Amino acid sequence: MLPYLLFSAAMFSVGVYGVLARRNLLIVLMSIELMLNGVNIALVAFSRLHGGPDGQVFVLMVMAVAAAEVAVGLAILIALFRTRRTVDTGDLTSLKG
Amino acid sequence: MDYVFLACALVSCVASLMVVRSRNPVYSALALMLCFLAFAVVFLRLGAPFLAAMHVLVYTGAILVLFLFVIMLLNLKEEELGREHPDWVKGALALLCVLLFGAIAVPLAREPRLRFRLPPPDEGFGGVEHVGRALFHQYALPFELVSVLIVVAILGCVVLAKRKL
Repeated sequence: MLPYLLFSAAMFSVGVYGVLARRNLLIVLMSIELMLNGVNIALVAFSRLHGGPDGQVFVLMVMAVAAAEVAVGLAILIALFRTRRTVDTGDLTSLKG
Repeated sequence: MDYVFLACALVSCVASLMVVRSRNPVYSALALMLCFLAFAVVFLRLGAPFLAAMHVLVYTGAILVLFLFVIMLLNLKEEELGREHPDWVKGALALLCVLLFGAIAVPLAREPRLRFRLPPPDEGFGGVEHVGRALFHQYALPFELVSVLIVVAILGCVVLAKRKL
């Protein structure tokens, strides 16, 4: 049980690093996927421990949310690139007060 | 010890570091594919064959193709990839993430109740019938709400992708 949870924590931490340290919006979105997947592993491991299907149903929900999030995120990215010619999160300051 | 799991964990750790470190998004996407395939094998080892199949279909089949499609569509040149943070900022953030991992891992590793091998799963555990029964009985309402979410996502994408914002 423990190795699965440690693996899940490791994937989540790598994803956090990607979100914080990279400025390329594409790679930030990929890192969010890594974080969601890390959580999925923990959910499946606990589902197996518990013996019920609940954790696996949650994983399906997470997958649906991740798919929707990526679709909208990439649409925003394309709209941004069309108007600003950049994918750098440091250049996107138009909402700054 | 579960050597298949260890191999998959190693592969996906290396691949995920490649995802967050490589400058070119194409290499990141390919490393992400390796990572997703290793996750699917981990799901199989955890006795969730239906989820493993769904994972390959949704992540590798749909999300990753979407990423690659957008990367090809944008066709970013070297100067359009954006500036990165200086190395000392990256180092500090890496240290922060190692600390985060430690903050999660140390209490888990100290917990004696987690130190056991998972028993073999029951017959039919994690199969289509097992998951589907829960999905369409107990979780029928969330399942229907997911369809609302997907409709909203489709509408959002169509509006965002229009020529004029």
